[in-house]
Amino acid sequence: MACGTLRALISLAVVVLASRAITLAVPNANVEPELVLKNVERNIDLQSQLTKITTKVVLENGGKSPMRSFLFAIDDKQKEGLSYIGAHTREAGRAALKVSKSEVKEHPDKLFYQIELKDSLPPGRSVSVEVEVVSTHELVPHPKEIIQKEKQLVRYTGNLYLYSPYPVLKQSTMVVFPSRNIESYTKIKPVSQTESTITYGPYDKRAPFSSEELAVHFENNSKFLTVTRLERVIEISHWGNIAVEETINLLHTGALLKGSFSRYEYARESKSGEASVQSFDTILPAAASDVYYRDEIGNISTSHARIKKDSVELNLRPRFPLFGGWKTRYTVGYNVPSYEYLFHSGDQYTLEMRLLDHVFDDMVVDELIVKIILPEGSRDIELILPYAATRLPDSLHYTYLDTTGRPVISVTKKNLVENHIQNFRLRYTFPRLLMLQEPLLVAVALYLLFLMVIVYVRLDFSIDKDEASESKLRIAGQCEKVLAAQDRRVSSYNDLDDQLVYLKANKDANAFLTAVKSINQEYKNATSAIAELAQKLKTESSDVYERVMELQRYDRILKDLYNQQQTLYVDKLIPGKVGRQPFIEAEAAISKKKEECVEKINGIVKSLQ
Amino acid sequence: MAILAKARGLRLSAEKQETLLKLTILSLAAVLSFATRLFSVLRFESVIHEFDPYFNYRTTKFLAEEGFYKFHNWFDDRVWYPLGRIIGGTIYPGLMITSAALYHLAWLLNITIDIRNVCVFLAPLFSSFTTIVTYLLTKELRDSASGLLAAAMIAIVPGYISRSVAGSYDNEGIAIFCMLFTYYMWIKAVKTGAIFWSTCAALAYFYMVSSWGGYVFLINLIPMHVLTLMVTGRFSHRIYVAYNVLYCIGTILSMQISFVGFQPVQSSEHMLAFGVFGLCQIHTLVDYLRSKLSQSDFELLFRGLILSMLTASAIIGTVLTLTGKISPWTGRFYSLLDPSYAKNHIPIIASVSEHQPTSWSSFYFDLQILVFLFPAGLYFCFSKLTDSNIFLILYGVTSLYFAGVMVRLMLVLAPVMCILGAIGASALVLTYMKQIESGKVTDKKSRKFENNYVLKTEIAMFFIFIMSILFFSYTVHCTWVTAEAYSSPSIVLSARSPDGGRMIFDDFREAYYWLRMNTPEDAKVMSWWDYGYQITAMANRTILVDNNTWNNTHISRVGQAMASSEDKAYEIMRELDVNYVLVIFGGLTGYSSDDINKFLWMVRIGGSTEEGKSITEWDYYNAAGEFRVDKEASPIWLNCLMYKMCYYRFGQVYTEGGKPPGYDRVRNMEIGNKDFELDVLEEAYTTEHWLVRIYKVKDLKNRGN
Repeated sequence: MACGTLRALISLAVVVLASRAITLAVPNANVEPELVLKNVERNIDLQSQLTKITTKVVLENGGKSPMRSFLFAIDDKQKEGLSYIGAHTREAGRAALKVSKSEVKEHPDKLFYQIELKDSLPPGRSVSVEVEVVSTHELVPHPKEIIQKEKQLVRYTGNLYLYSPYPVLKQSTMVVFPSRNIESYTKIKPVSQTESTITYGPYDKRAPFSSEELAVHFENNSKFLTVTRLERVIEISHWGNIAVEETINLLHTGALLKGSFSRYEYARESKSGEASVQSFDTILPAAASDVYYRDEIGNISTSHARIKKDSVELNLRPRFPLFGGWKTRYTVGYNVPSYEYLFHSGDQYTLEMRLLDHVFDDMVVDELIVKIILPEGSRDIELILPYAATRLPDSLHYTYLDTTGRPVISVTKKNLVENHIQNFRLRYTFPRLLMLQEPLLVAVALYLLFLMVIVYVRLDFSIDKDEASESKLRIAGQCEKVLAAQDRRVSSYNDLDDQLVYLKANKDANAFLTAVKSINQEYKNATSAIAELAQKLKTESSDVYERVMELQRYDRILKDLYNQQQTLYVDKLIPGKVGRQPFIEAEAAISKKKEECVEKINGIVKSLQ
Repeated sequence: MAILAKARGLRLSAEKQETLLKLTILSLAAVLSFATRLFSVLRFESVIHEFDPYFNYRTTKFLAEEGFYKFHNWFDDRVWYPLGRIIGGTIYPGLMITSAALYHLAWLLNITIDIRNVCVFLAPLFSSFTTIVTYLLTKELRDSASGLLAAAMIAIVPGYISRSVAGSYDNEGIAIFCMLFTYYMWIKAVKTGAIFWSTCAALAYFYMVSSWGGYVFLINLIPMHVLTLMVTGRFSHRIYVAYNVLYCIGTILSMQISFVGFQPVQSSEHMLAFGVFGLCQIHTLVDYLRSKLSQSDFELLFRGLILSMLTASAIIGTVLTLTGKISPWTGRFYSLLDPSYAKNHIPIIASVSEHQPTSWSSFYFDLQILVFLFPAGLYFCFSKLTDSNIFLILYGVTSLYFAGVMVRLMLVLAPVMCILGAIGASALVLTYMKQIESGKVTDKKSRKFENNYVLKTEIAMFFIFIMSILFFSYTVHCTWVTAEAYSSPSIVLSARSPDGGRMIFDDFREAYYWLRMNTPEDAKVMSWWDYGYQITAMANRTILVDNNTWNNTHISRVGQAMASSEDKAYEIMRELDVNYVLVIFGGLTGYSSDDINKFLWMVRIGGSTEEGKSITEWDYYNAAGEFRVDKEASPIWLNCLMYKMCYYRFGQVYTEGGKPPGYDRVRNMEIGNKDFELDVLEEAYTTEHWLVRIYKVKDLKNRGN
């Protein structure tokens, strides 16, 4: 145990050091002066609550040496809301490129990402790369408060140009809106509006880090829902199940509702409360079963699950529609079979699951906390995350039949979007023999319970002696023994019956006599045992003694009858000294007597029970 | 040929067979009593029901999380704003302590059960215990056959199920167990006269006191038993020991409950127990003197003693009552003795539906065949009178009376009905079963004497057959009643939709959760007191009045606000710092127990204090003396706050085909006042089916506007 704790501590220390190392070791990079961006096409997608900027860049190496990577700068304004950055080539296959944070000495105040190219770029050549940046909370409702009937208008301010450490030769920017209702937009020519898009540019050469404010004000009634806190608990059972539970705090971050909420208008007019959220779809894994949807005060009855080919789509309706500034909190849980996510070879296990799962389309998660509860006794835990996140100190979780507690791995990260739905990997060692621990625990507990009951029932804990009941118990014990001996006798009679039938058919007197000898021996033993017990009973209870003696008497009669039958068979039937008719008559007479005797004996036995 | 019997195999002696049979029947009854109470969990979910249970749930949660001392000293500022309430000193903590103890025990064993589930399943669990205790009690009173029958009957009797289904987390859930357990101990004590059993009875009594106010019934019934034994000349040393030990220890223990405090020695409800305690001493003294004195001397002394005692106690009693040392009887007890008392004097007591007198039909509904078996049981008790039987007779008769006075006391009647019914049924069945058996094995000699019984076996068979049918119908009836009447949580309503599917109205929780999530933490919510407990538990907001109804003037103030015009109500709401007002409105869905149907009680209670003198019930009736909501209604009612809050914008809604807009589906009228705006309130939230409407109280207008 102590050893285990120590190990846990050490591993903890390693993790802490490692995470610090990550934050410290941001690689330094230089801005290559020879690099130019030949052409830049930007697409700013403002259709949802997110800002998705796709930048297509054509890089040209104007230097002498080949280049392996280039830098991508983030605007000061965008720093705050930046959630995800990814890059890939524009060739067929769209291979993803490695993106990492880096620092530039000359510009310590700016945020850079270094994007590594797939193949190094030789001098004079050019390559085309697409960079995707997703940021959150950049669309600000304006006006801040609206009444129920009003539409939701938002403002976006950004940079008209690509904020780049390299000179840009030619660039254009396209802004995509959810509808045609655009209140106002920056008019720096050339600019054109078609339907719900505005295109700026093309602009000719711009110096590095050039910037010009782009401000647009437009209608956006899409779901401005923010998950302010998402706690995801994954509990693994090696008995074949993984339970997932997500507790979600939701806040409508659109324009606040001013004045009253009228249910009449909300139900009547479709235009009313356009910016409110009544329901949304959550996509769960296809194998999810036993889905529940509840909150602190019970089950929420308004939800439907649709089972699709590759997923379970859950239509969740919060208890009330969410208007600007309204909050709610709920819990969704489900089970998935472990064979889809948990792999093992021997005692080595690997869990591969999503760190963050889908809550609704275009979601924003301000804070994510993931807790992974491993089976009791798991060791050597190693977590591989798809992106940087803060590992929280490990803890222990106690639940049914636990003794030492289950290790809990916790991870947290802020500001996430759908692009963060990626798998993590968790490796650990679990001795498979430990699977038996819990069933054994139950078995031992039950065993002890029964043992206690047995001991309690068998032993006498009273301090005074109760003569009458004790003697009663003694008599009952003797009766049991008498009955057992009587049973032996009964089986000897049954054997004898069998032998007689056999004899009647085979007429083999010698074999019969040898068989009878051992049967008789058995019978004698039993009878003498009963006689002995009867003597003991004499002192305890005369009544029972009488009955046993009666039993003996009738038994003797019965035995005599058997002897008569035997003589009839051996001496008369087999030598053929008797005719058919007299034999049948004699046998019937014996049988009748036997029957009477047996009835008497049965009566006595019953009374002895 | 006969075969020699072998004793081997499953050989059980008759005694063991009986034990096995008893154990099987008893455990089946216990399991059944648990299982039959789970209808609501299966149909809905594991949720707390009704109103009071929400308070108990909230306090239990507090106790489980904060510990006993914090609980004991808990001053709750969430309720009765601005007065607050000292929770620890104003409740019977037995229920909460029981579930918190179970909860901690489970967690100690790493059983990570939710406290809510402990609360939900506590009542069914204790019903199982009640089943077992009923068996023990009946066995003690008569025999184990009746005991088993009583256990089987109490397992499913609707009168008890009504208050102990899963989720109905109320004091009564465990109190019935405590009561029967105390009775069992008391009978044991009376039979043996042992201090051990009487001390056990006192401890059981303590548990009972800690869990339910109905302990008063118990502390009057036991002295009454003793008194009856004295009168019938059955008083003995056994009873002396049993009662004195129970009274002394029980009283001291019961005074440890801070809500009970000094009541056991001061209030008149406990005076019978005290008086009988004194009488016991006198009786014993008299018995002692009689054995020592001559007949004539004793007569003289006895007469003098009686006279002086009576005068002394009468004088002391009067003085103490006049000086207020002995508190006068509280309203609920007056209404026990005189059913019309409450209606005439205390509207707040009369307004509660469960305080209404019981109708005849509900006796049959709740007890079914027991109603007929009860007199039979009484007959068998009288035919073989013992000390303990007298107790049973007293218990049966008094609880029958009380159940007739107040619906909720049906609960106290149900167990004794089961016990007496079982005694009756068992005695009857036993008689006839014997005749069936003896009919078979009679030999020629005895047959001669029984020739005058014609068709003896056949009649016995017929009787047994009829009894079986009765038992069967009892089972069917109980299951049906449980499933249909007593298993809806009332927090979630369900209805049949036209296409035959099930519709769920979850509006209450929708509104409460809205309050919880989207109002400021310190918002004060005004509503009629019925919803107080639910709002504090589910919405976690401060409320003005709740189901505790301890302060009549405060409730009256809320009633006044509801019954006044907007301007006047605004004054009251400003005075009470109200931020939100909540009303229940069933006009759209046809939910009949809404605030408009309770409104006349608000008027009566509102008008019952000095401040609300201007509010009189007659102002809200129209000229014809009717309470209506359409155009013919009285103008005061059409313009009061309650009307406006319920019907705000309802005038535009089409509720039923072929009816004008604003047609109220509960009262089946088109509302009288349709187009109005609210001046001092604004609609904050209305639930999907309009069951709950929440209004926000506007701030004062800015100067100069």
